[in-house]
Amino acid sequence: MRARALVAVMAIMVAAGWCLTASAAEVVVGALNDMTGATSDVGKDYALGIAEAVNYCNDNGGINGKPIKLVQFDYGYRVPEALTKYKLFKRMGAVAVQGWGTGDTEALAPTVAADKMPYVSASYSGHLADPKKTPFNLFAATDYSSNARATLTAWFDTRWPKHADFNKRKPRFACSYMFASPYASAPIKAIKDQATLLGFEIGPDQDVSLFAVDAKSQILALKDFKPDVVWHGNTTMSVSATMRDAYALGLGADHIINLWGFDENLPRLAEKAAEGAMAATVCAFYGENTPMMPKVVEYAKKFNPGVPQEKRLIRTIQAWSNVLALWEAMKRADKAGALNGEGILTKGFQTMREFELGLGGASLTYTDTDHRISGKVPVYEYKNGKFQRVEVVDLKGRWPDKWQSWLGW
Amino acid sequence: MSTTFLPCGEYHENYRQDHAWWQTRFIKTKMIALVLVLFIGIPYVADEYWLSVCNQIGYTALGALGVQLLIGFCGQVTLGHAAFLAVGAYTSTLLILEFPWPKILLDLGLAYPLSIFVAAVAAGIWCVLFGLPSAKVKGFYLILTTMAAQFITVDFVITQYISQIGGRGQAFSLPPGTIKIGPWVIDSDLKIYYMMIVLVIVLTAAVVNLLRSRVGRAWVAIRDNDISAEVMGIHVVQYKLFAFFVAGFIGGVAGAFWISNLAAISPEHFPWFWSLWLVGVILIGGVGSIHGTIFGSIFMVVVMELLQMAVIPLAASYPKLLMDFLFIKEAAFGLAICAFMIFEPNGLAYRWWQTKNYFNLWPFSY
Repeated sequence: MRARALVAVMAIMVAAGWCLTASAAEVVVGALNDMTGATSDVGKDYALGIAEAVNYCNDNGGINGKPIKLVQFDYGYRVPEALTKYKLFKRMGAVAVQGWGTGDTEALAPTVAADKMPYVSASYSGHLADPKKTPFNLFAATDYSSNARATLTAWFDTRWPKHADFNKRKPRFACSYMFASPYASAPIKAIKDQATLLGFEIGPDQDVSLFAVDAKSQILALKDFKPDVVWHGNTTMSVSATMRDAYALGLGADHIINLWGFDENLPRLAEKAAEGAMAATVCAFYGENTPMMPKVVEYAKKFNPGVPQEKRLIRTIQAWSNVLALWEAMKRADKAGALNGEGILTKGFQTMREFELGLGGASLTYTDTDHRISGKVPVYEYKNGKFQRVEVVDLKGRWPDKWQSWLGW
Repeated sequence: MSTTFLPCGEYHENYRQDHAWWQTRFIKTKMIALVLVLFIGIPYVADEYWLSVCNQIGYTALGALGVQLLIGFCGQVTLGHAAFLAVGAYTSTLLILEFPWPKILLDLGLAYPLSIFVAAVAAGIWCVLFGLPSAKVKGFYLILTTMAAQFITVDFVITQYISQIGGRGQAFSLPPGTIKIGPWVIDSDLKIYYMMIVLVIVLTAAVVNLLRSRVGRAWVAIRDNDISAEVMGIHVVQYKLFAFFVAGFIGGVAGAFWISNLAAISPEHFPWFWSLWLVGVILIGGVGSIHGTIFGSIFMVVVMELLQMAVIPLAASYPKLLMDFLFIKEAAFGLAICAFMIFEPNGLAYRWWQTKNYFNLWPFSY
């Protein structure tokens, strides 16, 4: 009898879910997040940030009075699951999606283009920045390729001149990342191109898993090449394991890192090995002094009081950046009377010029020919126990003739 | 379990009737109705989301069919089948993107169908390579060699070498319009669905027919007792390797089919977890049953989606429930396997068999 009652309750809930559509006053936004998969080490904090930022938007009027209804799913970084979840968002009437990984975002790119669904991803792959190929893919951050170019340039500008072998030989550079991961491999072509441009000698790539807890064999292989700087393309857990092994085995190289491997957890996990690490971050660190940071902290405390403040990461700020950018685009589209996919893109995002989010990142400019938000990339380093800004590398200003040709890769 | 009792009052008078695919008029009507439901009913009723769920069921079923053949019918345990799906997907993708097809084949839209066939053969041969140890080892040792297939194929060969072709990095882009069968560009869930249904029906029928043949009987004999099978004159190694070829072939078709659903393919699409998942599908569906493969695929995909549907109404009050659903889903998967192992080791197919027999024998069921 009890089992029958349970089945009946479940059936009613399934039916309710089946019939679920947003009320006319609500604006549905889907969010795909990874809380349990290969990138969950950075994905959990990002997911919390998405929900908190949407609450902030709703507390501040939603979309010109219409509340945002966030439908947030954990897809465990599984591409097939991301595909069906995207269809579910569509079925629920979502007008835009906050996506996650490079693999699924690239796999969905033509679909979102055909559906005219703005897809604001946590993947900042350069492949998604060319509106000719991926018109509805956007992100409120400088792309991986620009970040990689900028970090290598910052190292070349600030560290290499202080090296004992400066002006005696070419600097040596190598990459360490998971070859199979579209995220990690996305900027490889760009960073090697930049290394060639700056006159580096390029060593053999090392394949390190996103799940790696040990990278000694890769570090030993690198020791033969004696790199001066190693670029790490994975997420924090894997990068810290690699850096620890590099420290223990005396590799003697500096470390530059893709932004998903560079956060407040890095020094906790890599300890001394993290000293001197550099990365292009796309926004301020959690708690840093920026105009919007008090709100970020307030909402984190309010909606996730169980998560200690010292455990919150830069990922929260990245999530806020994407949500605030989409919020602004939706408000502009709504004011123009076009709160739909095409409207959000053309009357929203593509009308932004040097738009400031107040989160420490570059200001946002989207055009119908270029979805890279800026050519200026802030580069940070971890020094003396603190994250400090090294410089803002102006790629567009420094290589104006090449900037356009770097679009889309 | 394989025998289904005939309905009361039905008698076979010759072997032809006894071996017929559809043995009674009722079954024939039922199957025609099923075909109508599959080809007209579901596409008419289902929206894009449910069609994509159906496509995922089809992909799972195609992948699990090869696993079923190896584990359920030939007794060769495999834990690396995602590798053969990857071989199929990559072979088909490379053929479409890089092979200099004659213009006439491109115009006729035959490049993709031909690539599916070549991909299937390539995956079959690749599977045989990893089946070779089955000549010497079995049980846990064979499981380890099949696991090696996953790591050697996906993590080493495809990641390190195949993915580098073309210079993009790790993912091959499949621009819209690339996947074409005859005059039809496969660019919607509905077209993918039709392609999936045809492939599932053709391959299921092929496997069922193989199992009714001398080859199938040899496989079952090997599964039940390989020494006895050898004593009976069955060339055990040859038949085992043929099973690996057919399983790989089907896996290759599954992989080549799946690229129609994607715009970019990378090694990340074929994790080792997927090999485990396919084994879970046949355990829940029923080992040694073709029905079980289909039921297991439906169960693993649809039940999880329905559970999610059940969670959505509660999410208005508890928003975190949606985010926490995957934890529940993972736990449900593990629990389902444990529960089936304990309470229904023959899987869903056994329940289906019992239900059918109950009605077939009614009113004299006992």
